[in-house]
Amino acid sequence: MDTLTNFMNGTVALFSDPVGIFIFFGGVIGGMLFGAIPGVSMLTLAAILLPFTAHLSPEHGIMLFSVIYCTGVYGGAITAILFNIPGAPENAPTAFDGYPMTQKGQAGKAVGAAVTCSAIGGTISAVLMMVATAPIANWAISAFGPPEIFALVFFGLAVASSVGASTFWKGWLSILLGLLIAVVGLDPVGGIERWDFGMPYLLAGIHFIPMILGFFAVSEVFVQVEKKAKGSYHAPKLSVDFPSLTELFAQKIAVVRSIVIGFFCGILPGIGATLAAFMGYNEAVRWSKDRKEFGTGKMEGVISSETANNAATGAAMIPLLALGLPGGALTAMMVGVFQMHDMEPGPLVFLNSGDLVWVVFSAMFFANLSILLIGYLETKTIINLLRIPFQFLAPLILLLATVGAYAVRGLAIDVAVMFAAGIIGFFLRRSGYSVAGIVLGLILGRIGEQTFAQAMQMLHFEWTGFFFRPIAITLIVAGVLTLLGSIYSSFFKKSE
Amino acid sequence: MRNLRAGHIVEAVFWLGLVLFLYLNSFDFDQEIEIYKYGASAWPRAILLLIAVAAVGQFAGHWLRGENRSLGMLDKASDDGAEAAARLSDHNNPKWYAWTFLLLAIPFIYMNLPEILATALSLEKPGLHTAKLLCAAALLIVFILAIRGNPVGGMLTLPLLFGAFLQDFGFYFTAPLFVLGTMYLMGERRWKSMIMIGALIIGILLALFVSLLYVGLPTGNISPFYEFGTAVVNLLQ
Repeated sequence: MDTLTNFMNGTVALFSDPVGIFIFFGGVIGGMLFGAIPGVSMLTLAAILLPFTAHLSPEHGIMLFSVIYCTGVYGGAITAILFNIPGAPENAPTAFDGYPMTQKGQAGKAVGAAVTCSAIGGTISAVLMMVATAPIANWAISAFGPPEIFALVFFGLAVASSVGASTFWKGWLSILLGLLIAVVGLDPVGGIERWDFGMPYLLAGIHFIPMILGFFAVSEVFVQVEKKAKGSYHAPKLSVDFPSLTELFAQKIAVVRSIVIGFFCGILPGIGATLAAFMGYNEAVRWSKDRKEFGTGKMEGVISSETANNAATGAAMIPLLALGLPGGALTAMMVGVFQMHDMEPGPLVFLNSGDLVWVVFSAMFFANLSILLIGYLETKTIINLLRIPFQFLAPLILLLATVGAYAVRGLAIDVAVMFAAGIIGFFLRRSGYSVAGIVLGLILGRIGEQTFAQAMQMLHFEWTGFFFRPIAITLIVAGVLTLLGSIYSSFFKKSE
Repeated sequence: MRNLRAGHIVEAVFWLGLVLFLYLNSFDFDQEIEIYKYGASAWPRAILLLIAVAAVGQFAGHWLRGENRSLGMLDKASDDGAEAAARLSDHNNPKWYAWTFLLLAIPFIYMNLPEILATALSLEKPGLHTAKLLCAAALLIVFILAIRGNPVGGMLTLPLLFGAFLQDFGFYFTAPLFVLGTMYLMGERRWKSMIMIGALIIGILLALFVSLLYVGLPTGNISPFYEFGTAVVNLLQ
C-alpha cells in the first residue's frame, strides 16, 4: 500500500508544479523527436541538456532525463517502420518487420502497434520498478559496504565490456580508457596531483560534461558527415491505426515474453534497451511456429521489439537508484545530474530524498502512458520534421553543445576540450570502440577507486577479506567469469 | 601474419605507447599516503597494466584470427554504423589520415604560436593582440586552401578552430561564420537558405540563452571584436 501512497504523492507533486509539468512535456516531446530524427538520438539531446540541469532542481533534472529515456526509446520506431531508418539502435529490429508492413500498405497498423506496445512495455516496467527498487535499496543499505560496491562496479564494467563495442577487446579498452581519464586530477584518498602535466586545467580533473557532449553530440555529427546523411525523405501519407483489442490479445504471449526479456536486459549493465529489442525479436522468431514469416511484415516482430525496448527503461533505473550503478550511457549521464547537485545516487537517495525518487517514478509511468496519446497526435508532425536536412541540423547541435560546454564553468577551453573529445570519439567509433563504454568508465572510475581504497582500508589490506563477504566475492567471481568467457570466445569461437 | 593489417599495428602501437608514456609520468606522483598503503599510483598503474594486456590480447587476436567479427546478436545490437561508414568511405588510406591530422594541427598552432611570437619578440599586450589577429587570418586562409577535396577533414577541424578562436574573437563574431562554414562543408551551396537558416539558428540561440537565461558567452578580448561582442550583449539583455 505504501507504494501506492508514494506513487500518488509523487503524481501530485509532479502535476501540481507548473515548472515540473513544462519539463515533463518538454522531455516527452523532445525525447520522441530526437529518438525519431536519424543522425541524432536521445543521447544527443541528453548530452546537450546535461549542463543546464545545474539550474534545475535535482528532481526536475533526473525527471527530465528519465522521461527522455522512455519516449526516446519509442521515437525511433516511427522512422524504422516508415523509412527503414531506425532513429536509434534500439529500434533497429523494429524495422525488420515494420518496414515490410509499410510496403504492404499497413504502415498505420505497424505504427499503432509500436505506439501501443511501447506504452504497455514501458508502463508495466515502470510499475515493476516502483515495486522492486525500494526493497532492493533497503536491502542494499544493510548488505552493501565499500567492498560490495567495488565488486558491483567491477561486475558492471565486466558485463558492459562484453557487449558495448565491436569486439570484446575494444569494449574492454573503451572502458579502461574511461577509467584512465577519471584518474587525471587529484587522487581521492591523499589529494595528490596525478597526470596534470603542470596544467591548472587538468588539476581539477577533466570535467565530464565537455567529455559527454564531445563523445555523444559532437562525434555523432562527425559520423553523420562521413555517412553523408542528407536526411531528406519523402514522407508518405499516414494515419495511425491502432490494432484492435482482439488483435492485441492474440499477441499476449509475445507482449509478456518481451516484457520479461526487456526487464532483465534493462537491469543488467551494458546496452540495455538495444540488447532488449534484439533479444525480444530473436526470441519471438525462435518461439514461433512459422519463422519464415518474420521479416516479411509480421506484426508480432514489431510488437516483440518495441515492447522489449521500452520494458528495459524502468528496469535500468533499479541498479541506478538502488545501488548507484549506471548500466548505460543515459543512466551514466543521470549520475552526472546527481553529481552536479552534490548528490550520489544509491540506496541512501531513498532515505534522504524520497520525494525525488517518487516524482521520477511517477514521471516515468506517465511518460510511458503519454506515448499513447502523443504518439497518436504527434506522429504526423514528426514525419514533417524529418524533412529538415542534416546540414542545417548539424550547426544547431554543435552550437548548442558549445553553449552547454561553456556554460558549466565559463571556460572557453572546455569548448576546445569538448571538440577534441568529439574528434577522438569519432576516430574511436570508426575503429569499433564504444563511446558509451568510455563514459561508463569515466563515471564509474571515481566511484571504483574510492570504494576500492575504502574496502582495502576496511579489510586491513588483506585481499582474502573479500572471501568472507559472500556478496562481494560472488560479484567478483561472476565478473571474472564473464571476462574469461569473453576472452575465450574472442580466440576460439567461430565467427559467422 | 597474413591476418594482420597496418591498422592493427597502429592500434597496438597507440595503446602501448600511451601506456608507456603515462607509466613514465606516473613516477611524478608515486607518493605514499599515510593511511593508504597502495599510495596514489597503484590504481592508475593497475589500469595501465590492464590496457597493456588488452592491447596485446587484441593484437594477438588480430594476428591469429584476423578481424574476427562475429555477427552475433550482441554485435548487431552495438553497431552504430560508424565503422561501416568508415569502410565505405574513401578515407581509409594513410594519405587521408596524414592530411586530416595536419589540418587538425592548425587550431593547435593558433593556441601556441602567438604566445611564442610574443615572448620571442617581447611584445606587450597590443602587440600580442596584433600577433593573434595576423596568425588567425593566416591560419584561416591556410585552412580554407587546405580543405579542398577533404570535407570530412575540414568538418573535423572547423569546430576545433572555432573553439580555439572563441576566447579571443568572441562567440558573437565567430558563431555566424562557424554556422555558415559547417553548412558549406556539409555540401550546402544555396547561399540564400544558408544565410536565412543560419540567422534563424543564431537568433533562436541568442534569444534563448542570452536574453532569457542570461548565459554569459565569451565576448572576445581583442579589439574591435570585444566591442562588437559587448554591443550585442548590451542589445540583447
